[in-house]
Amino acid sequence: MNNCWRAFKDGNWTKEIDVSNFIKLNYTPYEGGADFLEGTTVRTDAVMTRVNDLLVEENEKGGVLKIDTDHVSSILSHRPGYIIKSKDIILGLQTDEPLKRAVNPFAGYRNAVQACQAYGYEIGDNVHNEFKYRTTHNTGVFRAYTDTMKKARHAGVLTGLPDAYGRGRIIGDYRRIALYGMEYLINERVKDKKRISERDMDAETIQLVEDIEKQLDFMRQLVEMAAQHGCDINRPAENAYEAIQWLYFGYLGAVKEQNGAANSIGRISSFIDIYIQRDIDEGTLDEIHAQELIDDLVIKMRLVRHLRTPEYNNLFAGDPVWVTCSLAGMCEDGRTMVTRTCYRFLQTLYNLGPSAEPNITVLWSKDLPESFKRFCAKVSIDTDSIQYENDDVMRRDFGDDYSIACCVSAMKTGKQMQFFGARCNLAKVLLMALNGGRDEIHGEQIAPEGETFAEDVLDYDKVITAFKSYASWMAKLYVNTMNVIHYMHDKYAYERLMMSLHDVEPGRLMAFGISGLSVLTDSLSAIKYAKVTPVKDERGLIVDFKTEGEFPKYGNDDDRVDSIAKWVTEFFYNELCKTKTYRGAKHTLSILTITSNVVYGQKTGSTPDGRRAGEPFAPGANPMHGRDSEGALSSLNSVAKICYECCQDGISNTFSITPDTLGENEENQIENLVNVLDGYFAQDAHHLNVNVLNRQKLIDAMNDPTLYPSLTIRVSGYAVNFNKLTKDKQLEVIARTFHEKM
Amino acid sequence: MIGYIHSFESLAALDGGGLRFAVFLSACPMRCAYCHNPDTWDKGSAALKMTPEELVKKASRYKPYFKNGGGVTFVGGEPLVQADFIAETVPLLREAGISYVVDTSGAVELTESVKYVLSSAERVLLDLKFWDEESYIKYTKQGMDKVLKTLDFLESIGKKTVIRTVVIPDINDSEEIIEKYLPYVRDKKCVERYELLAFHTMGFFKYEKLGIENPFADKIALDKAKKDELQAFVDKKLDK
Repeated sequence: MNNCWRAFKDGNWTKEIDVSNFIKLNYTPYEGGADFLEGTTVRTDAVMTRVNDLLVEENEKGGVLKIDTDHVSSILSHRPGYIIKSKDIILGLQTDEPLKRAVNPFAGYRNAVQACQAYGYEIGDNVHNEFKYRTTHNTGVFRAYTDTMKKARHAGVLTGLPDAYGRGRIIGDYRRIALYGMEYLINERVKDKKRISERDMDAETIQLVEDIEKQLDFMRQLVEMAAQHGCDINRPAENAYEAIQWLYFGYLGAVKEQNGAANSIGRISSFIDIYIQRDIDEGTLDEIHAQELIDDLVIKMRLVRHLRTPEYNNLFAGDPVWVTCSLAGMCEDGRTMVTRTCYRFLQTLYNLGPSAEPNITVLWSKDLPESFKRFCAKVSIDTDSIQYENDDVMRRDFGDDYSIACCVSAMKTGKQMQFFGARCNLAKVLLMALNGGRDEIHGEQIAPEGETFAEDVLDYDKVITAFKSYASWMAKLYVNTMNVIHYMHDKYAYERLMMSLHDVEPGRLMAFGISGLSVLTDSLSAIKYAKVTPVKDERGLIVDFKTEGEFPKYGNDDDRVDSIAKWVTEFFYNELCKTKTYRGAKHTLSILTITSNVVYGQKTGSTPDGRRAGEPFAPGANPMHGRDSEGALSSLNSVAKICYECCQDGISNTFSITPDTLGENEENQIENLVNVLDGYFAQDAHHLNVNVLNRQKLIDAMNDPTLYPSLTIRVSGYAVNFNKLTKDKQLEVIARTFHEKM
Repeated sequence: MIGYIHSFESLAALDGGGLRFAVFLSACPMRCAYCHNPDTWDKGSAALKMTPEELVKKASRYKPYFKNGGGVTFVGGEPLVQADFIAETVPLLREAGISYVVDTSGAVELTESVKYVLSSAERVLLDLKFWDEESYIKYTKQGMDKVLKTLDFLESIGKKTVIRTVVIPDINDSEEIIEKYLPYVRDKKCVERYELLAFHTMGFFKYEKLGIENPFADKIALDKAKKDELQAFVDKKLDK
């Protein structure tokens, strides 16, 4: 290891696996501006030209370029593929050709078949035969689901459950491969197994020991995969190129093995920066080639694909992979974690053009260097491609080496994993409470039978009592449903490679979610401050409401109603915590809907806030469109009141503002956007997606997609290429509040 | 004391002035033909009635965003119609560490309250709507005299002032007409900037909603390039 670790400062990291310690001892904080950055090389331009052609072709073919229906995706399933063999620097694709998708039926076979069929393919015989006798995660889950779980799922009150696709949101610490090499990591894991095998063999220990053996198998396969690309990753990386290549191999192996909803890459920029800086100091690398390495890595990140069904795309629109890449933040010792390589990642949005992936996430702190804040704001204004999360808040719970998975889920890198838990539609739970446990659309009895409210003006206290009772029942059902899902996922679709790049006994988080928060909040506000009378149909079901009078609406910094949103999240979180989780995971909660706010709306009847049946919800924790009447900051202040302590899986807020509203010229826009972010996060708010654009531009793009082929917008914790959205999603995005001056 | 408030805008950006919390006060003595807030003309239009304490409490919620000169902007209507209310609010704002800007037509009597409110402001945005008495009366139903007295007062106390003119197609969108504004501005030391704004039609729907006649209903928005061109002309003439 001596040569690989030359010029690095020793510390705990040389005694045991401790990447965070390595970074802190060796990184160079950067407080300067963006003027050192370089553009592309001729090579990068050539590769990008090829990539852009492929993307156009993919789009023309309905979103999927090619499917390999004969090989089940795994680490060694495909021979190395290249974009341009003579020009690729960072090697490795998921299959033998760029953008060719592989089938991955481990989480659900039927899903894989349907996904192939949706694009005009049939699954190959050998795949079919292999899975004829194999139990998938999906089969396992449905064996164990109770009738009530199935009903809640069918009604759409528990939705987006990862029971037919990979759960995702697990981030391997891919940096370990570069720093230590696989041989050392394998040896350490063998030692772990030996140590743990000494325990009494109860179910927990047996499971763990079997997990380790699965991990070791895939660690060895990863070494083989790298060897096929001509690289020996048994040893640590010797230079910046190898460091990037080694950690990318880890990530690539993970996305070949798993088709989880979100495959995030973690927090790699300042780690990579240490290697780049060493090479620069040694005179073996210059800035233009350092940027070229990052550009080439990002090109690879932009090409990651999974094969999805149309139903899945309906929930998570735009074909996202959530290659979330977390940048910046502060070190616990007070130094900034901004390095030149944080800038280099942002620079890819200029060099390679705006893009939805990787999902660039800036960990914002009030103490970040001003020049970095300003550069981020500029990139946001120019590309609408980045999101911001509050490092000052997350660092309290997750330290200074956490990564964001998916949109807003923090976890300590390599030390915590997550059981992804989709979300519960709380607006629907309210309707269910008013209907005595019946679904308000098809009338089915889902929850225990209770009293249906009469067609009299609703009494707030009585409604709250009923809501609490049903929400509490739902919380228990929700935790138990999650337990079934993750038990089966571990059993049938365990993330062998990703988990091998964690500590052997990592912390586990079970991430629950709420959807419909703003609809529920405004509905309760209407019941409290206006007069709401239910309207029943011939079945005696409450299907509509007559709402008379004014009521305060969430999104106007009005405590009368914002306190309801705050209370609901705290109440529901506490209810969730009452039921034990699988593998002792810590309960966490998010307010995040991805783009499924449209689908949830479709599955929810009319609500007392005046929203009609079927109309979309607002995304995440956003106030409902058009109800935030006092402007942008007022809306931000409302969302900022929801407390992160009970929503540690994230509070997503998507914010669109027209350039003119933000400031008259670029200089003012940058300054004001920095002020918006500083002001919002100073109130302990958690997340902000920023779009700076005009509604008209989106309307033009919808009518003529060729006008803006790479138009990227942030939707809910991730970005999409606007042209990849279905028309109803495009319309919903256009209908969202654009903060605009008069 | 009660303030009659039409509405708030929590993110009002003013160039170079940081993020601003705009308080739209009801009532205006003018009836500008191009007004984009006709819904604020009458005091009766106020949706909210607030005490100075309540207003400052609300404004304080935006303090985290007030960097680089951010703060409250009093606008209207004509905010100085309620100068007595603002005057009572000023010490409370000062106590809360919040500065403010007044966006005024200047068409008010220079009462003690008005003078106090203008003197204590961080900056004053003063409209110079038209170029002479005749055009003022024609398009605003008010004379120019008070506006000029307000400007003289601002000059006498050396208050940082931004003069603004809305450029309207076929009324004042020529160098020839715009040049007529310059003598009022040229020698004033208090004037930091003379800024042209483009006429827009985004307030038209309000006329329809209110059922009042829109004198400029047939006008279209001024092209931004045209405005920029005239701004460059003005900057050159004023040597700014």
